[in-house]
Amino acid sequence: MEMNIYGYKCKRCGHVQYPYRTICCNCHENDHNEFDIVPLAKNGKLLTYTLLYNPPADFELVYLALGIVELEDGHRITGQLQIKQPCVGMKVTGKVELVRKDEYNKYYGMVFYEA
Amino acid sequence: MRDVFVAGIGITSFTRLEYPLVEIAAYPGLMAMRESGIKTIDQLYVANMGGCRVNHQTGLASAVVDNLSLTPAAADSIENGPASGASAIKQGFMAVASGVCDVVMVIGAERMREVNNLEATDFVATLTHPMAEYIYGVTLPSLAGMFARLYMDKYGITSRHLAMVAVKNHKHAMDNFYAHLHEEVTLEGILDSPDATTNNPIIADPLRFYDMCPVSDGGACLILTTADIAKKTGKPMVRLAGVGQATDTHAVHDRKDPTDLMAVREAAKRSFAMAGLKPKDVNVAELHDAFTILEIVESEEVGFFEKGQGHIALQEGYTKIGGKLPINPSGGLKAKGHPVGATGVGQAHEIVLQLRGEAGKRQVKNAKVGFTCNFGGFGNNVVCLTFVREG
Repeated sequence: MEMNIYGYKCKRCGHVQYPYRTICCNCHENDHNEFDIVPLAKNGKLLTYTLLYNPPADFELVYLALGIVELEDGHRITGQLQIKQPCVGMKVTGKVELVRKDEYNKYYGMVFYEA
Repeated sequence: MRDVFVAGIGITSFTRLEYPLVEIAAYPGLMAMRESGIKTIDQLYVANMGGCRVNHQTGLASAVVDNLSLTPAAADSIENGPASGASAIKQGFMAVASGVCDVVMVIGAERMREVNNLEATDFVATLTHPMAEYIYGVTLPSLAGMFARLYMDKYGITSRHLAMVAVKNHKHAMDNFYAHLHEEVTLEGILDSPDATTNNPIIADPLRFYDMCPVSDGGACLILTTADIAKKTGKPMVRLAGVGQATDTHAVHDRKDPTDLMAVREAAKRSFAMAGLKPKDVNVAELHDAFTILEIVESEEVGFFEKGQGHIALQEGYTKIGGKLPINPSGGLKAKGHPVGATGVGQAHEIVLQLRGEAGKRQVKNAKVGFTCNFGGFGNNVVCLTFVREG
């Protein structure tokens, strides 16, 4: 099954927020958990990025490429980049993959590739 | 509301300190008590971010109040990320202004060098959004890198401008005994020479090593009190005239304009409004330059310069000591150091010194109004303070 990152669509006003908030940031009216979960788009354009040469200890890498992507559906998401030479405005496509592993846990998140 | 004055101040060196966290907190408290002659307090606030995680120390305020033999005074620990220091000052301000307390001691203390740099950076990164940022390996330097790339493109700021912030603040710190880095740097050494890529490697592209603050230990203290008690100390009267705080979204990508630091603008506006002053009234400022880009951007957002003009003012020497509005005369976080929980109190300490006229070689002439901006998270919780010299 293809994995997704999900946004939270308010049942009162239809606004989709990512990440999760208990109260909708648009209408402020929803009751607890009054959201539908909707998969976020996978394609988008790179808004900004950095190559981080002192990544946290869990990452055994020379550098870690991180970026903020504006998805086709208008939402923004922070993710890792598997792109040799990223540039602002380039088209990217995302996959949900293992992004971090520590002693006890595995974390999955969005990794972007050149489209 | 009662007027709130600073009766006493104290500070440790911001560097690597081989003392327990409690003593790093207590020492500036002792200095402030000796300076002011104040021996009893109603309330202690201790600002600290990493004691629990880095030093295995909880209940810090209870430990410090006893260490200073100030029991049975009330004591609370305050954790608000890198803005903990100014947040604690805000609490102290409210306690005195409201009439609940007459004498409040505010201490900021941090001991980050107990762990290595990677662990210290990771501990600070825990303030990012746990699911939308932290899991990806996002750290504060990486957020600053992504922010800087957009901001520099938008306003024509170059690596040279960023390096100028480092050169200026390192120079200022040369005259600050308590600063972490006593090391004058030049544009040649960190940018132009063939050795620059070794001296000043890229850390979070486009930001380089000298665009980042060091990881420091340190503590600072302010005693806040009423006008009557402050007068008895015989020190020049410095009033905490304005306190402003504002917040923004937790995840940085959630902001409509990723180059906008709305919380800085709003916190500054609130602080100036309470003080009844305007940005143009300020004579000296301490801004939160954890990354060089932030000094430039904050100088615009708090209202000193138009948006996109901060780097021009810097380039023209407007913000160095001797310029029209000296920024970070202490050396700033860049060179004075950044013991996260203590930073906000350290900034206020410098402003009080400047307004009293006790800053020695780095004294800003005729400073009457001083301003601090303490920036928590990546701009998601910001506290700005306005101080005024009375008389």
